[in-house]
Amino acid sequence: MSNAIRTENLVKRFRKVEALDGLDLAVPEGTIYAFVGPNGAGKTTAIKILMNIVGATGGRAEVLGLDSRRLTGRHFAAIGYVSENQELPEWMRVDAFLAYLRPFYPTWDRALENDLVKQFDLPLDRKLKNLSRGMRMKAALAGALAFHPKLIVLDEPFTGLDPLVRDELIQGLLERAEESTIFISSHDLAEVESFASHVGYLERGKLRFSEELTSLVDRFREVELTFDMPPALPNTFPPTWMQMSSSASVVRFVESRFDSEKTLAETRKVLGDARNVAFAPMSLRSIFLTMAKAGAKSGLGRSES
Amino acid sequence: MRQVLHIFQKDARHYWREAAVSLALVVVFGWNEVGQLTDEVWTPDVVGPHSLLGLIAMLLPVAWSLLIVRVIHGESLVGDRQFWVTRPYEWKKLLAAKVLYLITFINLPLLVMDAFVLARAGFPPLTHLAGLVWMQILIMLFFLLPVASFAAVTTTITQVLLTALVIALYLGGIVALWQHTLSSNFISLIDWLQTDLFVLTVVAVILWQYARRRTNQSRWLIIGFCLWVCLAVVAAPYKALVAHEFPEPKAGQPPPLRMAILAAEIPTPTTFYAKDKEVEIQLPLGVSGLAPDAIAAVEGVLIEIEGPGGSHWDPGWKSPFLFIFPDQTKIHIGFTLKKDMFEQIKAVPVKVRVSFALTLFREKNRKEFVVPAGEFALAGVGLCSAGEAYAQQIHCRAPMRLPAFLLISADMASTTCPILGGESPGRPGVTERGWRRSDTSGPAEFGISPIERFDLYLSNSAPMIPAINQTAGICPGSHLTLSNPKVAVRNRTMLEIDGMRVGDYQLKPTTF
Repeated sequence: MSNAIRTENLVKRFRKVEALDGLDLAVPEGTIYAFVGPNGAGKTTAIKILMNIVGATGGRAEVLGLDSRRLTGRHFAAIGYVSENQELPEWMRVDAFLAYLRPFYPTWDRALENDLVKQFDLPLDRKLKNLSRGMRMKAALAGALAFHPKLIVLDEPFTGLDPLVRDELIQGLLERAEESTIFISSHDLAEVESFASHVGYLERGKLRFSEELTSLVDRFREVELTFDMPPALPNTFPPTWMQMSSSASVVRFVESRFDSEKTLAETRKVLGDARNVAFAPMSLRSIFLTMAKAGAKSGLGRSES
Repeated sequence: MRQVLHIFQKDARHYWREAAVSLALVVVFGWNEVGQLTDEVWTPDVVGPHSLLGLIAMLLPVAWSLLIVRVIHGESLVGDRQFWVTRPYEWKKLLAAKVLYLITFINLPLLVMDAFVLARAGFPPLTHLAGLVWMQILIMLFFLLPVASFAAVTTTITQVLLTALVIALYLGGIVALWQHTLSSNFISLIDWLQTDLFVLTVVAVILWQYARRRTNQSRWLIIGFCLWVCLAVVAAPYKALVAHEFPEPKAGQPPPLRMAILAAEIPTPTTFYAKDKEVEIQLPLGVSGLAPDAIAAVEGVLIEIEGPGGSHWDPGWKSPFLFIFPDQTKIHIGFTLKKDMFEQIKAVPVKVRVSFALTLFREKNRKEFVVPAGEFALAGVGLCSAGEAYAQQIHCRAPMRLPAFLLISADMASTTCPILGGESPGRPGVTERGWRRSDTSGPAEFGISPIERFDLYLSNSAPMIPAINQTAGICPGSHLTLSNPKVAVRNRTMLEIDGMRVGDYQLKPTTF
């Protein structure tokens, strides 16, 4: 499978601040890739470099097989980009906005436009500046989907939206998923967990992991070991164990390379026989928090690809 | 082209109010221009219904600036949040759409109005089509594009206004710097160089912003140009440039005219404002040897004084705006000395070197002309009139540009103006002259009006005889000689005066 987006050692510095620190990213075609990370991790910067809105300090990026620095007007006929803080032509009515965009795209689908207008319940006769934040986002999304883009890039599209609007937007996106690669950045994992196929976690400009969501969820487990008496915790433990904690005879940690047999054998080796062993699956949000805390503790965090 | 028209249509719909204001002002401008044609006696001091030119000349650029800024900001080139940068806009087409808009809503209406005004002024517009188009090109290069370049590196009207304020302060500073820099005030080479560089910078900023949107780099380009101008003003090798532009005559080639210092005249109190710490000096120079068909324009004068003990005084080249005609035998060259310097050297013999940068003209197309009553056509100039009342000038209006050099001369002894009480007929052999010169090289002047209005005042270089009040008017029937002097050669010539006592040539001010 070829990649819709690929970056190699992408670096972006703003004076002394390193927003991106050697980002290596690969977004396979046809996937819904959730690009997650805490605020200030460098997601928006990475997307702006991918969209050739800002230049990189180092490294390279490819979008739909083209060096992102060479991405110009005509290439955007295949890319739908929506950002939370995008400046739209506020003075335009929704219908005029869509009508204005139409001639720019050879593949604009009038029927799809009408469907999106209906689906998003867009008020065509209202000016963009008079719309709520959610409505504006929907209008922007309608304008970014109605031409069957090969690649849809969304930068924090759901920020500040109520759950209903969020679901409508997600539904709209999912209906396009078959024909497009969707690259969506968010700091809210709960919202992307429901529909993303792949996830990449960016922290302090570095990609901590990037993989299919199912495999990510499969390899993270909350492990709870109950002993007959409080065990002696070793000074060092396997690097895949995170957030080790103990209270009385119960030891808890997060295993980031879960394999039931291997993990069990490892706990025996490190901590001894436990009376009871429980492996609990984790939500993406929990995994995210675990990673974030581990990164904060270690200063630079651990590389977990 | 479809994309260009699509963006253009969007802008035309959105900015119709700004465009309407601009168009309305163009209409008012045209009405005012046509109205001025009918205000026959030209009285600039009288405020009439058609004296709005100054106001319109101020309002139109403001309205145009607003229009340009709004249209350019419609697809702002600064920042990284604009929706259009990730849409299939092609920068060349976006730029073309903006240029098309400016042409459609600024250049074209003005061109049509100028053509209308020309026609009403008695000049067929088609004959002056090149001039009309050239005028629009000048407006585009020296007004619309500079404003567009500022709009291209700003995001809001406030930013543009602040930029305008900074530019105004900068220009004030440059003028002050210019005035305090020796020799800087008459060299045209630097002006041309800066004009070309100005246009290049403006175009580069616009192209760079549309192609790359690298705002900081574009702003630095503008700042770089401004710094370059400062540097050019301060550090230009003016003397070398003068030497290049006005070379010394080749060996064996006679100087275009001879000059000699004359004896100091009896100091007569002269009416001028005397500064406390400065002394005005005036050197009377005898001139001769100018060919009968030649005119010498003194473009620059450099006066150097070598005083006792090797002291050297050099104020740099100055432009005296002086013409010398063949029948002229004397000119006066004035300069100012610091009082303390003057006190040191006023009584001791000093060596004075006076260098002249001269442009020698030869009269061409010389022809006799009898002034008819009313308005008359002057070939190569436009339409002129001597006025109904006694006047010492003729008033002319020219299409698109001033004449490169128009000289009229008249023997006032043969004036047909009635001699009024207390007046005497002009002295025979005294020629009165009036001239108009323009350095514009293209078919039109820079401006918004297609009509250039000017007066040719007659004056002579002969000594005044205060007791006789001579008539010197131009009336119907007066004989005039017209010519179009052309540049023959540019030369530098020098006059060395040994043992001069500067104090003898001091100009004594009248005390008020």
